[in-house]
Amino acid sequence: MAPPLLEIRDLTKSYGGGLFRRPSPPALEGFSLSFAEGEPKITTIAGESGSGKTTLANLALDFIHPTSGQIFYRGQDISEMSRSERFIFRREVQAIFQDPFGTYNPFYKVDAVFNTVIQKFRLTNDRSERRRLTEEAMEVVGLRPNEILGKYPHELSGGQRQRIMVARAFLLKPRIIVADEPVSMIDASLQMRILEIFRDLKEEYGISFLYITHDLSTAYQISDDIFILYGGSVMESGDIEGVIQNPHHPYTQLLVGSITLPEPDVRWEGRSASVASEETAAINLEGCKFYHRCAHAMDRCASGTPPNYAVGPNQSASCFLFE
Amino acid sequence: MTVVADSAPLLQIENLRVYYWTQAGPVKAVDDISFSISANERFGFIGESGCGKTTTIMAILRLIRRPGRIEGGRILLKGNDILTLSGEDMRQTRWNRISLIPQGAMNSLNPVMRVRDQIADAIVTHRGAVPNRELRERIGDLLETVQLSADVADMFPHELSGGMKQRACIAMATALEPELIIADEPTSALDVVVQKAVMETLIGVQERMDASMILIGHDMGMTAQVADRVGVMYAGKLVEVAETRELFRQPQHPYSQALISSLPSIREKKRGGGIPGLPPFLLNPPENCLFHPRCPHAIAYCRETPPPMHRVKFGHMAACHLYSAPEQFDSVPDSAIGGLSGMMAATEPGASTGRQAE
Repeated sequence: MAPPLLEIRDLTKSYGGGLFRRPSPPALEGFSLSFAEGEPKITTIAGESGSGKTTLANLALDFIHPTSGQIFYRGQDISEMSRSERFIFRREVQAIFQDPFGTYNPFYKVDAVFNTVIQKFRLTNDRSERRRLTEEAMEVVGLRPNEILGKYPHELSGGQRQRIMVARAFLLKPRIIVADEPVSMIDASLQMRILEIFRDLKEEYGISFLYITHDLSTAYQISDDIFILYGGSVMESGDIEGVIQNPHHPYTQLLVGSITLPEPDVRWEGRSASVASEETAAINLEGCKFYHRCAHAMDRCASGTPPNYAVGPNQSASCFLFE
Repeated sequence: MTVVADSAPLLQIENLRVYYWTQAGPVKAVDDISFSISANERFGFIGESGCGKTTTIMAILRLIRRPGRIEGGRILLKGNDILTLSGEDMRQTRWNRISLIPQGAMNSLNPVMRVRDQIADAIVTHRGAVPNRELRERIGDLLETVQLSADVADMFPHELSGGMKQRACIAMATALEPELIIADEPTSALDVVVQKAVMETLIGVQERMDASMILIGHDMGMTAQVADRVGVMYAGKLVEVAETRELFRQPQHPYSQALISSLPSIREKKRGGGIPGLPPFLLNPPENCLFHPRCPHAIAYCRETPPPMHRVKFGHMAACHLYSAPEQFDSVPDSAIGGLSGMMAATEPGASTGRQAE
């Protein structure tokens, strides 16, 4: 059997530390995930600020190194890759970032974005072939090459710029795209159009996505499964349908209950708990991370870390309530 | 042309126009919009970025800066046109009667001043000197109203979380009990759970003071939950105004239909969301109906004649020829009356012109 395309095993990352300083509490703790070969899917990593979701993206892209745990790409530990293996990894695992304004050099035309990757990854030396590859990638993301090429970044809208970033990633025929908040800076009316490109790329080209977001509504629209992170730990994970429509973990319930629906008939559920517990409660470092904010907190939660309990066919929650 | 409201609206805007005079010509950021807000009402604006929402509220506060200029119209606050006020009278109107929670308000706090001094500053600047004891009491009350503990007064902004800073800004904006609170994206940049809590606080304060509120937000879900009535803006024009429930259930203008159906939700999975094409370039906008290049129902008539604001139903206005001049259309599509269905299926994604019948 072929090894998984990407496998993350028990990954932990703490920042800081060094010779004289104690490392800070882990930004990500004991995280595992797997993308099977030949079964493209969109996996969402959701959480609030400080939940460790960007840390995970940076680890998966090999931008930073884990404190412990391993990442395997096609069965090969990415920290022990040879130069040529790394070259392939860099081409096949692509990134799309949050800010469609900051990723461009304002002095270069957008063509440079494509030409640079074509050169770096030695896709072709031929001018017309280069043009063909660029145009093909742009058409896949729904842009008209003659309207875009030759322009400077400031002449394009945020949505167009983010689409160009998707086209740039597509150009390299990646197997996985790590997208860190790709639509959070884009108008609500355009978000779904960008995300639907992701879904098309998955269905037509077999590209998997690690979709990192704080927005459960968009996650629900496009993903197959989801991990809910809080304070660096997974609170609940499983099929998107189950986790969103039937959340079990108190934190997931809080998140899902806070989603604002564009339907005035469906009112926000209940009033929030006291402000102090919503905003100022610190993350519990000893036991369950969510202990200080949890309405169901029990004594054992303060010191014991709850394991994952199955709460559905493809759904598990890390909470003693389901023991 | 105003929208139905109580006999004496708190705020009435008539034919407001705000242009930005750029080197390449005037940009009509707000072009001939009229609406009114009654007492205690929460009015929400929705629309894509650059549609003129923020310019509209800045005009209400008369805070438009060069190269922008209010070109015409009237802004009546309880019947008095604030555009005719002297600079000093306008300064007194701001904060005392109309206050603003600006975009990214939490970053507007002064990092080297304690919260207490910043709130005191807002009060003293607009009300003149207040005895110390009274000021202390007042600040204590204000913090309590926004659900912050009293010791927050002696903290610096960096000691507060994003949500707490936002609450402090709400306390400042409501310190003088204004009649109208304008909130521009009051909860963006906060985590979802905190967003909800802060919004609940803001509404609580607004209701307690019997104030009206104008709410702008990218988060249309939030607007749907909070506003009583909603105005939809497109390219500087107000294209539809209706009661919130009615607007989200049965949007009438094709733009509102597309905008609302493009929103992601956890209630149902959708395919083919989004509006084809791009918002117009305002230096060189399309003629007459600004939405016609993207509209699936557009006909030649839409390009030739400006659509007037038309009363579709009681309290529901839309600026679209489908309603004001239905005789021009061979057949009025069901989707125009029925709401969302069929709208998006009719246009091919990626096409920047969606004209069908021409």
